[in-house]
Amino acid sequence: MTELLVKNACVIDPLRGINGEVMDIAIRNGKIVEEVSDAAEVVDARGMLTMPGGIDSHTHICGTKVNFGRYMSPEDMRAGRTPRQGAMHATSGYSVPTTYGNSYRYSVMGYTTLLEGAMAPLEARHTHEEFSYTPLQDTMANTLFDGNWGILEAIRDGDTKRVAAIIAWTLSAVKGFGVKLTNPGGTEAWQWGKNVTCIRDPVPYFEVTPAEIIRSVVEANELLHLPHSVHLHCNNLGTPGNYTCTLGSFGLIPDLNKKRQTLYATHVQFHAYGGSGWKDFCSKSEPIANYVNMRPQIVIDMGQVMFGRTTTMTADGPMEFNLYRLHHDKWSNHDVELETGSGIIPVIYRRKNLVNSIMWAIGLELALLTKSPWQCLLTTDNPNGAPFVKYPEIIALLMSKRYRDAEFATVHPDTESRVPLPAIERELDWHEIAVMTRAGGARALGIQDLGKGHLAPGADADVAIYPLRIDEVDPAAEYQKVIDGFSQTEYTIKRGRVVARRGECLVHGSNATFWVRPKVPENYDMGKDPDFIEKFDRYYTVRMRNYPVQDEYLTRSRCIETEADL
Amino acid sequence: MIVKDAVCPFCGCLCDDIEVEVEGNRVVAVTNACELGMTKFMGEKRMKNPILRDGNRWKDITYDEAIRYAADMLLSAERPLLYGWSGTHGEAQCVGVHMAELIHGVIDNTSSVCHGPSILAIQEVGHPGCTLGVVKNRADLVIYWGSNPIDAHPRHLSRYTRYAEGFFLENAFRDRKVIVVDVRKTETANIADEFIQIKPGGDYAVLSALRAIVQGKVDTIPRTVAGVTRAQLVRVANLCKSAKFGAVYFGLGLTMTQGKYKNIRNAIELISELNRHTKFTISAMRGHYNVYGSNEVNTWMTGYPFGIDFSRGIAFYNPGETTAVDILARKECDAALIVGSDPAAHFPRRCLEHLADIPVVQLDPYPNATTAFCNVQIPVAVTGIDAEGTAYRMDGVPIRTRRVLSTDYLSDEEVLSRMYALMQEAS
Amino acid sequence: MKVTLAMKPMTKGFIPIEAESIVPKNFLSGTDLSVWRGNRELRLDEAFSVSVEGSADRAEDVEVVLSGDTCRLKRVGEYMDAGRITVLGGIGMHCGNFMSGGTIEVHGNADGWLGREMAGGTIVCRGDVADYCASGYRGGRKGMKGGTVEVFGRAGDFLAESLAGGTVVVHGDAGDMAGAEIHSGTLVVHGNCSRPAANMKGGSCYVYGTARGMIPTFRKVGTVQHEGRTLIQFTGDLANRGKGNLFVKDYEYLD
Ligand SMILES: [Zn+2]
Repeated sequence: MTELLVKNACVIDPLRGINGEVMDIAIRNGKIVEEVSDAAEVVDARGMLTMPGGIDSHTHICGTKVNFGRYMSPEDMRAGRTPRQGAMHATSGYSVPTTYGNSYRYSVMGYTTLLEGAMAPLEARHTHEEFSYTPLQDTMANTLFDGNWGILEAIRDGDTKRVAAIIAWTLSAVKGFGVKLTNPGGTEAWQWGKNVTCIRDPVPYFEVTPAEIIRSVVEANELLHLPHSVHLHCNNLGTPGNYTCTLGSFGLIPDLNKKRQTLYATHVQFHAYGGSGWKDFCSKSEPIANYVNMRPQIVIDMGQVMFGRTTTMTADGPMEFNLYRLHHDKWSNHDVELETGSGIIPVIYRRKNLVNSIMWAIGLELALLTKSPWQCLLTTDNPNGAPFVKYPEIIALLMSKRYRDAEFATVHPDTESRVPLPAIERELDWHEIAVMTRAGGARALGIQDLGKGHLAPGADADVAIYPLRIDEVDPAAEYQKVIDGFSQTEYTIKRGRVVARRGECLVHGSNATFWVRPKVPENYDMGKDPDFIEKFDRYYTVRMRNYPVQDEYLTRSRCIETEADL
Repeated sequence: MIVKDAVCPFCGCLCDDIEVEVEGNRVVAVTNACELGMTKFMGEKRMKNPILRDGNRWKDITYDEAIRYAADMLLSAERPLLYGWSGTHGEAQCVGVHMAELIHGVIDNTSSVCHGPSILAIQEVGHPGCTLGVVKNRADLVIYWGSNPIDAHPRHLSRYTRYAEGFFLENAFRDRKVIVVDVRKTETANIADEFIQIKPGGDYAVLSALRAIVQGKVDTIPRTVAGVTRAQLVRVANLCKSAKFGAVYFGLGLTMTQGKYKNIRNAIELISELNRHTKFTISAMRGHYNVYGSNEVNTWMTGYPFGIDFSRGIAFYNPGETTAVDILARKECDAALIVGSDPAAHFPRRCLEHLADIPVVQLDPYPNATTAFCNVQIPVAVTGIDAEGTAYRMDGVPIRTRRVLSTDYLSDEEVLSRMYALMQEAS
Repeated sequence: MKVTLAMKPMTKGFIPIEAESIVPKNFLSGTDLSVWRGNRELRLDEAFSVSVEGSADRAEDVEVVLSGDTCRLKRVGEYMDAGRITVLGGIGMHCGNFMSGGTIEVHGNADGWLGREMAGGTIVCRGDVADYCASGYRGGRKGMKGGTVEVFGRAGDFLAESLAGGTVVVHGDAGDMAGAEIHSGTLVVHGNCSRPAANMKGGSCYVYGTARGMIPTFRKVGTVQHEGRTLIQFTGDLANRGKGNLFVKDYEYLD
């Protein structure tokens, strides 16, 4: 039995309605408890800001495409190398760090749970392998269904239950967590070098539209009672005028779930663009945020862009090719049979560039114009908008109008006429930041009942203690203190152990992986469906028996079983 | 007993539809595999136990003794080289990386003598690729460039291209064109629809010419380029542009000939160019069944796919300097651990001279050419036969190999983990 | 101030020594520096006999003289910004990498990656240079960005790869793929070389001898007079939508 007592913590725990109360936190065997014995090890938080461990609800840290981002970028790898030291292995990389690099840097920032944003089912084993080398965070993977042939055919046949059955089989087989649609239909079209422009464009051969895909997959997701909602990367990412497409997609979504949203729309900054081309490119954050404000069934994340060098990587192959034609730097693409695709290119976001400046503003505007922080979570779509190590700066920008103005003075001068940002006075408070970086993520992912994102007795003892005195620091003025404070915890506690202290990781750790196994009736078990099996054998190049991810790949398995309504 | 859907641990195709018949813990029949795979599954004459060189003779030693020897050898070295890794499972490769990091050594895999140049090219311009099934189901044009699958990847043609069924091809054999580009008429060229014969060393020039022609700049191109007529180049460029889905598979004929990675870079840039017109992908025909896995493991753990030097604690990558052939030729290491490869069968003589001068430990199930250079050899289980583990197919698809026999041999991972544990104790 | 470093014979003679600490400015605060032989750290005086004459307040006034068998000494002059390094014999890999100022003179041959990613200053090599002289790093977009490299002997392959600024002059022949991927800057090869300026985007490449295996995607513009020579001018590389200038005395296609 190991016990830990965190004393004098200034706790913000939004899911429990605690906002800045000084209290003790008792931990036994990795869980929060009511009280511990006198023998417990004591950590004195000395009134410092203490929150549940951070949850990144959309990041790219593990798997085929992430690793290819490293593989093709030795110049990025050499930027940020550290040697093996103490419990820490060597790390490399800036925008796409090695798995240990990701894990240590997130841990030092107080993050304890990460959702990998995109996993191709056929290559799931790779994602899980990398998860086990990301030892200081619990992990889960969004599973890509945007171009899944079986699903496209079932939608064409109007059979939503079969859509659900295929999702159920696949999630169980690949040990996936959530349902991800990346440019639905577009990734299949891209395997012919084509794309879909918006939600009413039919997918070649399959003759279903993105709108139909989104609607039936959302329904199927709810039939399966999955913890998380459908996680959507809208069509038409990154193009001027795409906000109408985004609003169209949001308009398809009914309110089907009482506990959480029905749609999680990711990196919405990239989908909130006005203008008819790059010349009149402008922000459309206002209509998007207004729409979200009226629709509790929608949660978005920012996808904030920060200036500097990074690597973009997404399952959205056609979008990456367009980016490549714009930048003419290196370009990788990887289409995955019967399922999805991906693309990778390095980019540099520059203050002197008008489009980049507008993008930077849009992300902030979304967070500031969305009234409820529960509906707009803090991300950069790491590393697409920026590497996650920029989160502290983003927090400071959201908390300080003065900081925003100072930064705004350095961006392209024409930005002012294209964005509403300078007129926005709102400054987020500590509680709102806590929602956007942990509590909101837990609720949106549907993992608060599994003990994530809060510090109630029974919860996983994942705690972040930041060297910040919220009664002393004025974030509006002292934004540098906010940045420094969120950059490095005083203590990061994971599963009841202090894993990081003042920038150094102290233990090797071992991750747990959350995955979902929906229970379906026998007649919806795709593992026994003759048509499904026949197609699998004929068109996949991996045998169906060799496809599922074996238990060996999960260091700690946290299987979530659901009862499907089929 | 018949083991179905076994995974063939021979080449980068990583065929996973093999049926292996086992009787009395011996493989007696293998179905679906090619000759090469069959031979691997039927392999016999394994080394029985670890051996230590004792003057001109071999002495049997225990696993504990052998592992201790290796650990001591590596700990005392100033620049140990950990080489091979393509012929073992990912879990063992991971231990290898931890080991290199701990002892501040150099870790390199067989890429440095096969597709290392392809990786260097990808690092310059990226890689438009796809999984093998995408090609199987869609490609109406397949180009084998400097690769001869009939010899080296016998089932590539039947599983993915020439003889494969494809979802979007009504009559795949008729509707799918195959072009072979090589310096000589290979067996694969005999089954191609078009053969382009290039003078040795001329691939780069031909690729440049094709890129220009695809852009419509035909006039500048000389009448012949490296033995290929301009007319043929124009015809091939048109074939490519009019294909619905084209796929290039290149081999060592492009990678290891004059210009090396610049050839691959040029080929990739041709494919990027063609993607402005239609859909095209390009991929390397990887040799060892898990060489790609070794690249993947190294990359997520160190940031680099091969040739990683931890001498100074942080990872340093510079192929041509930190790669095994270069290090050995320059005599820059003072001990070597060889796992899952047989360098003595492939490396230049100069490299072997140095290998003969330094202490060498090898993990390998069989006596091989490298055995002659070893101080200690430790026999291990064969991944895919008596050990399970992860391998990455040439297109990046990871597959878990099956165990078809059970033996008492330790796996590479087990031996290396024990070695690593001793090293951790010592440091 | 003159610092003389005479290499001591090494017992493990083949293991390279990395000596990025050998930069003029470091000697302003003494000679308590270390170098690395493989994974072992050595004091400077374990690897060299060290002698110092005179004193200096600024790096510009420091000269470092290296003698003995320095062919396996790597990274000398890395990030050097001022002063002078004179190598009496040959020098190992990565000499003058990332250099931004000052002068390095090598009397013997230089091994690979001489002046890699150099931004300024001058490197003179009296002997031959191996591959990747004045080049970039793996996967990087830009090679050398500024400064001057002058080689009196021959150069190996991939000379001035991805050159993005500055001037590289080789008085002898160069190997294969000289000036591949040049973006800007100037490369001059007095002798012959193979496949110059492949995939060039911009900049200028001069070959006063014969360009063998000439890349077929350069367009001939005409002849020009250049420093008393008649050269044939090409533009390209068309395959890469390049607008660079390639000047050669003669050329041969691989046809
Ligand atoms: Zn994403």
